[in-house]
Amino acid sequence: MTVGRFSGRLSWRPNIAGLVTMAVCGLVWETAIQIGILHYQYLPAPSAIVLGAGELAASGELVAATLHTLESVFLGWAIAVAAGVSFGLLLGSSPLLRRYSMATIEVLRPMPAIAFVPVALLLFGFSIQTELMVIILPSLWPVLINTMGGLMGVHARLGDVGRTFRLSRAAILYKVFVPAATPAIMVGVRISLTLAVVLAVLAEMVGNPEGLGYAVVSQQQALRPDLMFVYVAVIGLLGLALNALLVGVVSASFPAASAELKGPRS
Amino acid sequence: MKRGELGAFLRQAAAEVPPARGLIPLLALLTVWQLLAPGPSAYFPAPFEWWSAAVLLWDSGQLLPAFAATVTTFVEGLAVAVAIGVGLGVAIGTSRPVERALGPLLEFMRAIPAPVTVPIATLLLGYDVTMKLTVVALSAIWPILLNTSSAAARVEPLLFDVARTFRLSTADWIRQIVVPSIVPFILLGIRVAIPLAIVVTLLVEMLTSLPGIGALMIQAQRNFQSAQVYALLVVVGLFGFVVNDLFAIIEAIVLRRWPARGAFRSS
Repeated sequence: MTVGRFSGRLSWRPNIAGLVTMAVCGLVWETAIQIGILHYQYLPAPSAIVLGAGELAASGELVAATLHTLESVFLGWAIAVAAGVSFGLLLGSSPLLRRYSMATIEVLRPMPAIAFVPVALLLFGFSIQTELMVIILPSLWPVLINTMGGLMGVHARLGDVGRTFRLSRAAILYKVFVPAATPAIMVGVRISLTLAVVLAVLAEMVGNPEGLGYAVVSQQQALRPDLMFVYVAVIGLLGLALNALLVGVVSASFPAASAELKGPRS
Repeated sequence: MKRGELGAFLRQAAAEVPPARGLIPLLALLTVWQLLAPGPSAYFPAPFEWWSAAVLLWDSGQLLPAFAATVTTFVEGLAVAVAIGVGLGVAIGTSRPVERALGPLLEFMRAIPAPVTVPIATLLLGYDVTMKLTVVALSAIWPILLNTSSAAARVEPLLFDVARTFRLSTADWIRQIVVPSIVPFILLGIRVAIPLAIVVTLLVEMLTSLPGIGALMIQAQRNFQSAQVYALLVVVGLFGFVVNDLFAIIEAIVLRRWPARGAFRSS
């Protein structure tokens, strides 16, 4: 999933033109509904959405749904990262293992995430396990592939240096290869977080009837488009916030990795 | 393309395919599964049961029309997304003020996950094939649009001076300068959009029961036809695999004509 900063330029100058455009679009939308030019029966005006947000925030539903989704995202993402890094390290450091498993990975990797929903429902019913299965399986791949690729991309001479110092194989892996591969691993970790948010929402829409994804579907069925749009906006903001948080944490703790993260795409 | 060149190209492509012995873990898993659970089961039906379920679905005349509906929506949706995404992307990317003005709005729209567009569209457009197509195109458009516009915005400025020096017409300017600079990024956008389009196509079918593989899957799950669920999982998986590989081939051919330059990296 691409997370390219628009046009790849990062500037801290406030984009006045951009903000004005957004405001104007909102204003046109509002007036079009108020005068009645737009004929969609279920398109709420921005003001109605703002009122809806207040209503949902006051009742506590918004917070509860957001917390459920956040919990699933973090749990699923943590498991996916742990498993992806472990398998990635194994595959990245052993050409033999790679030869005997790459084809399997290449067959399983393009499996569309949503195809796991019916199987997960079969195994776990409408539950958080279903949601986690749908989150973990697809978001494992970016971490695994980037970890493996990162290790393979480390210059072989660094390994020779480690051997010259008579480091053990494990020590060479942890002291030389893993630090050198960290920027690549962090790219995988970030892609996987963005993916986990989307997958959690997806799983809640068709699998586990809880959280923000379910809220969107149930408000649609209840014919409350104003409330539905509140949840849609919250999901979008949640994705942006988590991504910004991760980029911030990674830049602070691994300065070398931050240049990769802010690249034109990932 | 000369014959020898084609041969070299094919050999190079074949060298990148992982060796078939890498399939051993998958085959071992399926064999163990078959041996441990040789019959039908509500949770883990044996792989041979999947095959019989697939044959039954095919014989009842459900599988082929559903598959055709899914593939049609996917292809049409992606085609619409590519057409609009590339067009808008070039228009936005080549003008700095337009790009700056629309940037935040597009970023915000893109941040909304693709699956969420399904309930919005059902509410606004109702349940029909147009809605299905709109939703798929709308989710696939963002990666294509954003990659195209960022590529168009970063065309080497010197090339514009070259174009002016040679007094190129607009058509020549697009063909000789803009196209070679953005084609690799359009391909990149499409590669990101493909899995999104597949997922959203199946999701619409699951949520609205419009005909397709997604509707078939959810129906099988609701009827506790576990073997059918696994059979359809394999069908969808194979579809994803074939589309992925087919696009990799197309990408390799196109990139030979317009190779990636500069900061372009594929991962």
